[in-house]
Amino acid sequence: MSESGASSRVMRWLDERYGTSQLADFLRSKEVPIGVHAIYWYYLGGATLFFFVLQILSGMLLLMYYQPGEATSYESIRYITTKVPFGWLIRSIHCWSAHFMIVSLVVHMFSTLMLKAYRPPRELTWVTGYLLFALSLGFGFSGYLLPWNELAFFATAVGTDSVKSVPLVGDWLLNVLRGGPEVTINTLYRFFALHVSILPILTVGLIASHLVFVQRQGMAAPVGEKKAPRGMKFFPNFAMRDLLLWLICLMAIIVLSLLFPYGAGIPGVEWELGTKADPLAPAYPGIKPEWYFLWVYQLLKEFPPHLFGFEGPEVCLLVIAVLLATWALIPWLDRKARRNEPSPGFSDFGVGAIFFLLFLTLKAWDIGGGDGELPDDAAVARTCAWIMVGLAAAVTALRAFLFEHRFFVYSGAALLQAVLNGLFGLSYLLAGGIAGGLAAAVTIAILVGERRGAPSPGETP
Amino acid sequence: MTDETHVPTTSRRGLLDLLLRLGVVAWLGSVLYPVISYLRPLPRQGPTGPVGLTRAEVAKVEREKFAIVPVGSKRVLVLEDAEGTIHALDARCTHEGCTVRFLPGEDLISCACHNAQFDLGGRVLSGPPPRPLPRYVAQRQDDGGIVVSVTPA
Repeated sequence: MSESGASSRVMRWLDERYGTSQLADFLRSKEVPIGVHAIYWYYLGGATLFFFVLQILSGMLLLMYYQPGEATSYESIRYITTKVPFGWLIRSIHCWSAHFMIVSLVVHMFSTLMLKAYRPPRELTWVTGYLLFALSLGFGFSGYLLPWNELAFFATAVGTDSVKSVPLVGDWLLNVLRGGPEVTINTLYRFFALHVSILPILTVGLIASHLVFVQRQGMAAPVGEKKAPRGMKFFPNFAMRDLLLWLICLMAIIVLSLLFPYGAGIPGVEWELGTKADPLAPAYPGIKPEWYFLWVYQLLKEFPPHLFGFEGPEVCLLVIAVLLATWALIPWLDRKARRNEPSPGFSDFGVGAIFFLLFLTLKAWDIGGGDGELPDDAAVARTCAWIMVGLAAAVTALRAFLFEHRFFVYSGAALLQAVLNGLFGLSYLLAGGIAGGLAAAVTIAILVGERRGAPSPGETP
Repeated sequence: MTDETHVPTTSRRGLLDLLLRLGVVAWLGSVLYPVISYLRPLPRQGPTGPVGLTRAEVAKVEREKFAIVPVGSKRVLVLEDAEGTIHALDARCTHEGCTVRFLPGEDLISCACHNAQFDLGGRVLSGPPPRPLPRYVAQRQDDGGIVVSVTPA
């Protein structure tokens, strides 16, 4: 009996019972839009999914040895990395893959923003993607504590302390999250439950709905078109390219894990086990969270003790909540994209957001702060502002000449804040107030102009 | 005739719908209440009155000029200043809850997480903390021991 004969019999047997030919027909007819945007943006969702699967697999292997407990968490991770054959490699793959997953998610989200793929009818695809990003940050935060080392202890102490600023239920929430008023081993038990059962179940459910939405509606065509000018067969052409990218990602992670088993050696991208957590030890200088939380860490540092009659950290967390809520609502705020028209303002808003996050992240790394125990904050701000000026010039030139962008209000405001703070010595918040106020004034002027029928700057005719 | 029979049917159905919805809400409440109660940790009882530091803790204060000790559910920073006076303050930074340290050479309390500094009275000297560190009562005993009580100083 030939192999093809056997497989076609199996296919027929399945089709008679479950109607699998419909799925095969769907895969045969499915196309990925190409022709206007570079197609590589469409691979990022698949790459993120690949990293998630790698996380599940390496996490399962780590679970074979990891034991949560005051006397066992740190010790079992040390056992994994020093005694278990290839334990260091499995842990390193788990850590590198976690960072790659966040990078891939961030690029995927920003590419969705730039291509306006969130416009109707795909609003819920954006929202589920946004929630998946939030869950991924939750994975990073909960997993960080599990080795029960000093760094993890203080990162969790700071991260969970923010919860107390939530109105009405803040203290209750803090107690529930920590399993008590302070970070103790009870917190680790709760984070362990979150990391290995609650978050994975929620994530798998959300990924399923995200994928169903994408499959039902297809990938978004370029703005202004109802259908893409050309398409690429999903199977096998696109799927094979997906597979190739996954293999490249896997090889990249393995190479990095072999060369740098304990991370890149810069704050926020390293996972040396270090010293065991001691709830009665003071925090040590240079303590930093993971790189994707550095902007929050720095923003908390920039706020003064009190602002507008409220405590600084509370106002800071309110600002972060408003920014995150705005991000979630973009599909409804971008009214031009809803009408299938170009919306250069929202593309620039995305670039402005990147500049805003990058300036804070660079400052959190204390770049240019000298070798003293405490960095020179003014020197850090100056160095980071110069880096931002160089970077913004390159990005703006690229956008203007390559993509013919003409709207630079929000990216300009983010750069202005960096310049006023770093080069003119204004406080971060005052600089932000001036830049934000100018951006708001220009936005209002544009909206008023549009009401009167004048075209907005950057509007393609 | 039709209208007369239709009206009471609709209102009966409306009432049943309302009862069903209330039933669903009550059922959800009966499910969630035990779960929420289960998640809330039990309050940790601990002494708030005078607590004597262990020998190791006292030795640490003498050696490093400070120690962080648990008193009830609090972490307390016990330090000895340049004049030999013992101070006790809450070790939890009022900014984001990191554990503070005493810098003996500079007579300062510092939090390394966001570079905050406090004086020995707990007042904020620099950095983002919105409130001073709460001060507690600490006394050196005749036998050299140290007693701390987490009642405000």
